Amino acid sequence: MTGHYCDLKNADVLLSCGSNNLENHPVSSKWVQRALDAGATWIVVDPRYTRTASQADIYCPIRSGTDIAFYGGLINYIIENRLEQTEYVNEYTNATYLIKDTYDFDPETGFFSGWIEEKHKYDTSMWGYQIESESDGSQPWMSAPGVPEYTPKSIKKIKRIESIDDTSNPDYDHSVWAIMKKHYSRYTIDVVCDICGMDAETLELVYKTYASTGAPEKAGTILYALGQTQHHYGSENTRIMTLVQLLLGNAGVAGGGVNALRGEPNVQGGTDMAMLVYDWPGYLKWPSVENTPTLRKWLETQPNAQGYYVNKPKFIVSGLKEWYGKNAQVENDYGYDWLPKVPKNGDIYTTIGTFELMDQGIMKGYFAWGQNPAVSDPNAKFNRNAMCNLDWLVVADWVVTATASFWDAPDMQDRKKDIKTEVYFMPAALIYEKSGTILNSGRWMQWRQKAVEPVDQAKPDYEMCDMLWREIVNLYQDEGGACPEAILNVKWDYYVDGKIDPRPVAWALNGYKIDDSTNLGAAAPELLDSFTGLAADGTTANAIWIYGGFYANNADPYDPSIQRISRRHTNEKTGQLVPDKDPGGLGLYPNWAFSWPANRRVIYNRASADANGKPWNPNRVLVEWTGETWIRNDVPDFAWGTVDAPNPPEKCTAFFMKDEEHANFVTTGMKDAPLPEHYEPFETPVEKNLLNGSINSPMIKFADNESVKKGDRKQYPIVATTYSITEHWQTGAQTRMCPVLDEIQPRQYIEISEQLAKEKGIANGDDVIVFNNRSSVKVSALVTKRIQPLKVHGETVHLIGMLHHWDWTNRYSKGEVVNELTPNVGDPNSYIPEYKAFLVDVKKA
Amino acid sequence: MATIQHEYDRKHLDERNEYKASTKAILFDSSRCSGCKACMVACKTWNQLPSPTATNSQPWYASLQCPYDLGSNTRLTITFREMESTNPGRPIDWAIGRRACMHCTDAACVTVCPTGALFYDEETGMVSHNAEKCIGCSYCRGACPFDVPRHTGSDDLSGVNIRINKCTGCVDRIKHGMDPACVTTCQPGALTFGDRDEMIAIAEKRVEVLKAKGFDKARVYGATEMGGTHVIYVLKYDIAGYELPENPGISWMTTASEIMKPVLGIGFIALIAGLGGCLLSGVGYKRDELRYDEVNHDVINVETGEVVKHIDKEAGER
Repeated sequence: MTGHYCDLKNADVLLSCGSNNLENHPVSSKWVQRALDAGATWIVVDPRYTRTASQADIYCPIRSGTDIAFYGGLINYIIENRLEQTEYVNEYTNATYLIKDTYDFDPETGFFSGWIEEKHKYDTSMWGYQIESESDGSQPWMSAPGVPEYTPKSIKKIKRIESIDDTSNPDYDHSVWAIMKKHYSRYTIDVVCDICGMDAETLELVYKTYASTGAPEKAGTILYALGQTQHHYGSENTRIMTLVQLLLGNAGVAGGGVNALRGEPNVQGGTDMAMLVYDWPGYLKWPSVENTPTLRKWLETQPNAQGYYVNKPKFIVSGLKEWYGKNAQVENDYGYDWLPKVPKNGDIYTTIGTFELMDQGIMKGYFAWGQNPAVSDPNAKFNRNAMCNLDWLVVADWVVTATASFWDAPDMQDRKKDIKTEVYFMPAALIYEKSGTILNSGRWMQWRQKAVEPVDQAKPDYEMCDMLWREIVNLYQDEGGACPEAILNVKWDYYVDGKIDPRPVAWALNGYKIDDSTNLGAAAPELLDSFTGLAADGTTANAIWIYGGFYANNADPYDPSIQRISRRHTNEKTGQLVPDKDPGGLGLYPNWAFSWPANRRVIYNRASADANGKPWNPNRVLVEWTGETWIRNDVPDFAWGTVDAPNPPEKCTAFFMKDEEHANFVTTGMKDAPLPEHYEPFETPVEKNLLNGSINSPMIKFADNESVKKGDRKQYPIVATTYSITEHWQTGAQTRMCPVLDEIQPRQYIEISEQLAKEKGIANGDDVIVFNNRSSVKVSALVTKRIQPLKVHGETVHLIGMLHHWDWTNRYSKGEVVNELTPNVGDPNSYIPEYKAFLVDVKKA
Repeated sequence: MATIQHEYDRKHLDERNEYKASTKAILFDSSRCSGCKACMVACKTWNQLPSPTATNSQPWYASLQCPYDLGSNTRLTITFREMESTNPGRPIDWAIGRRACMHCTDAACVTVCPTGALFYDEETGMVSHNAEKCIGCSYCRGACPFDVPRHTGSDDLSGVNIRINKCTGCVDRIKHGMDPACVTTCQPGALTFGDRDEMIAIAEKRVEVLKAKGFDKARVYGATEMGGTHVIYVLKYDIAGYELPENPGISWMTTASEIMKPVLGIGFIALIAGLGGCLLSGVGYKRDELRYDEVNHDVINVETGEVVKHIDKEAGER
C-alpha cells in the first residue's frame, strides 16, 4: 500500500476493484466502516456480488479480465469532462513532458512502436522523452576513497510545454497529456460497457462518483488485490490505477493512494526481500548477464541521474558488504563478480517456467519452502507430473502438503511405484513458535516474540537455512565445487551465543557500520539510525536499504523490545507513552511499530500540498509549509532539509524517487506498454478485441508452451475465475487442519448463476464437473443470484467462480485441485500467472 | 388464557424493568456485518466447543450458511438470505443475520426450566446456564420463541447426559472486564458490547442513517421484544431475511407452568409428565431444522428432506 489500513478512514470515495477486501482482508472493514460513518461513498466493482459488494453504496459488475477497459474509460471520462486536478497534474506529473516522435500506437494492430519481432519484445527507448540538454550528474561523494569508479548518468533536461492547456504550442501533440488523451479517447462508455458487461447507467454513476475526487480537497482510494494482478497484463492493470490516481490528485494524500492488500501475512515482506528472479532486496535489480555483468555496469545503469535514487550505489555496496564482509573490498568490486547473475533466459526460472524445466528433465531438485505449488500453481496437474522427474524435493511446511505428497495424488496411484523422486519433509515452526519480524500491507514492521517452543522436531526457517548453509560450506571446504568464492567468501555471522538468531539478521536488515574486524556473532555493531547513513565506500553494511532505522537503538541491540519496531505509542528509548499518539488526527500513529521507508506512513506525501506547500485539504495535513518551516505530521517523502535549515517548497519535488522527479503517465519502465492498453484474457469468451487488433498482449509469457493447451471459446464458452473465501487460507493446508474452520465452510464449491444452472440442469447443491483441455474437477454447485450473466459484445457470457482451498490431502476436509484448470501463462513484468480469467465448461456430475 | 398471560407479562416486566436500564447488551448491526464468521470461531474457541472431525463429515447446505443452524455444539451461527432486490442497483437484498440466544428479559426458557439450570445473570441481564443442573428435559427449546436452546449428549440414547448448550453471554468474560468472545473478534464493528440503553441508542441512530440511505425496512429489534432482549439487532432489510419472529411471545403453556409451580407445588418430575406432551407436540414456536432452497424457493426439512413450504415469489411471498 502507498498508504496503510488506518488511512482508509480518510477517504471521500473508496473504490474496491479486484479486491474482495471484507472477505479476504477483514481488518480493512474496520477502517472502511469509519470512512462510511464519516460520509464516504464506497464503490465495489466485481464480477460477483460478494460480501464486500453487499455493503457498498454502488455495486458495478464487470467481466473478469477487463479492468484496463474499465479504468481506461474512467481516464477518458476524466479528461473529456476536465475533472482532473489540473494543478496537481501540471506540478507533479510528467503530463507536460514531450515524448519522442518515435512513439506510436496502432489501434489496427494493437502494437506500440518499437516492437522487435525476432526478440519478441519492445525497444522501450522509442517511448522516451525529448531531451533539451544534458549536464554532468556527478556528486562529491561519488569520488571519495572506497567508492567504486563509474561514470554517473548525465542529468537530462527534458522538453516540456507550459501546461496541459498549452494547446497552441506546436509540440503539444507530443506532450504526454496529448498522447494520453488521444490514447484513451477510444475508451468510450459504450465500448467499455460492451467489453466489460455492465450497463451504461451504472458505469457512468461509478465514473462520476469516483471522478469527484479530482476536486483538490477530496481524496479517493483504490483497494486492489489479486483480482487485478493475476492476469497476463496484471502489472498494467496495477499501473492504470496509478494513472487514475495521478489524474485526480489522489496519490500522496491522506485517504488516497494505490493500495494493494497483500495476501499471505508476510507477502509484503517477501516482495521487499526480493524472492523473485530479477530483484535485489529493497526493489533494486539483481545483477544479470545481459545488462549488468559488472559492478561498473550496474552503477552506470541502475541509479538515477537525479532524485533520491542517485544513492543506489550506497545501497548495492552496503549490500555487498553485508554479503561478503571483509572479503568485499573496492579492489575486487566488493565481490560483485561472485554473485550469481540472472541468465539471458531468466524468464524460465520464474514459477511457471520452473515446471517446464522439470518437465524437460533440466531441473532436478526443488525446494518448496512455505509454498504449495502442487495446488497453488496454474496447470497443477502438469506441474505434478513434471515433479515426477525430480531427483529430490524438499518441502518445509507446517503440515504434509499436497506438494510433499504429490506422488500420492489420486491420479498418481498407477504410476506411484515408478516415481523415483526422493522427498524430504522439514517440519516448520508455526509463527507463534519463532521470533522475528512481520510486515503488513501498510509496510508496518513489528517484532513478534516467540510464544511457545516448536512442536517436536519443527524448526524456524532461519534455523533450517543455517543448517543447510553450514552443510554446503562444509562440503565446499572438503570437496570443493563450482564457483567456490560465491560460497566460501560469504559473511555468515548471525549468531548469538553460538546459535543462529533473528536479532543479528535484524541488524543486517537495518544497517550498521562495518570494518574488517566486524563479527556479528561476537559483538553487536553500531546500528545506523537511517538509510541516509549508508555509504558507497565500504564502511557500512545493509541487507535491504528500505528497512533502515527499524532496529537502530544502540542502547541494547540484543533487545527487540526497545527498538522502533516494537513501539506501541511509545518512545522506543524511554518506553514512555508519547503525548500525542496521532498528530493531525489522520490515523498516522507514528509511534506505533515502524513503517518503511523511514517510518513514513503515506508515500509521496509532498503531493498532499500544493506547489507552495499549502495542503489541498486543511483538515488532512500530512505536511505543510508555514512560510518558515515544515509541519510534519508524517515523515516527509521529499528533501525537506533539517529543522535548522528547511528547504522551501519549490525545492521539494513530490516524486523524487523518479529520475525526472515527476510521476509518470507515459513510461519506459514497463516491458509491455508505455500506456496501459486493453487486451483480452489468454482464453477469452469473445471473438475480437473491440479496442485494438490484438486479442492478447503481444508480450504474454509462456503462451506458446505445449503444456498450456489453450481452450477455444466455442468448446469452452464459460468464463471461470478463482478466488479465496474468508473461511479458508490459500491451499487450505493449514486451515483445513482446523475443524472449526472446516465446519464454517466444509465444501469445495463453485458459484454459478441461476440462469446457467437452469441451462445445464444443475440444482443447488448438485455435484458438477468443471472441465477444459487441461483437466476436469468435480465440485459442488452453489446456485446463486449473486452471479449474473453479462451482456458482452451483444452476447450473453456466463461466469463461474471457483474456490481454490482444497486438495486430496488432509484428514478433515478433502476436495479436488481447481488449479488444474488454470492456464500457465503470465505477465512479462511480474511473471504472475493468469488465475483470474480462463475458459471452462460445466456439466452435472 | 389470554388474560392470564397479559397479567403475567405486566407483572413480570415491572419486576425486571428495575434493573434492565443498567444491564448490558450485545449490539449486532447487520448492516456492518461482512459475514466473515470470525465470531462463530471465537465462540467455539473460547467455549471449547468441538467441531466434527471425521473426514468430510461436516454438513454442507449449498449455502454460505454453515453450520446452517444452531446445534448441540454450536451456539452462534451467521445466517445468509438472498431475497428479491428492492433496489435496481443490487442483484439481491442480501440479509446477513445472526442466530444465537437473544437473552430475553422475559426469558421463556428460564420460566419453563424446572431446575434452575437456566437463570438470569442479575448483573448483566444475560440468560446464562448451569449445565450441571440440567436434567435434559429440553422444555426450554420448545418454549423459546427463537428456538435457540440446544443440548449436548443427545446422541446418548439413555438421555441421562443431555445438557443445555447455548450462548451464555460470556458472563465469565464480562465479569473479568472483557467483552464477549464474538464481540472481541469482530473487525467491522458489527458487534458491540456495552450498557443496554446505550446500545439501543446507537442502534436507533444507525437505523436513521440506514433509512436515509434508502433502506426503508431498517429497524431495531430487541428493544421491546420479550420484555427487551440483551442482544439488540439493527436489521438492514426486511425482517423476513433474519429468521426472527415478528411478535415473539411466551406461550400460555409456559406461562401456566410458571404460575402453577408455586401454586400447586408441583415437583418438576410431575411437571415434565404433565406438560411435556403439550410442549413437545408443537404448542408454541417449534422451529425444525429447515433449509431454504434458493433456486426452487422451497423450505426443506433438513432431516426428512420434505418440502415444508413452497414460497411463491411471483405472488410476492417471502
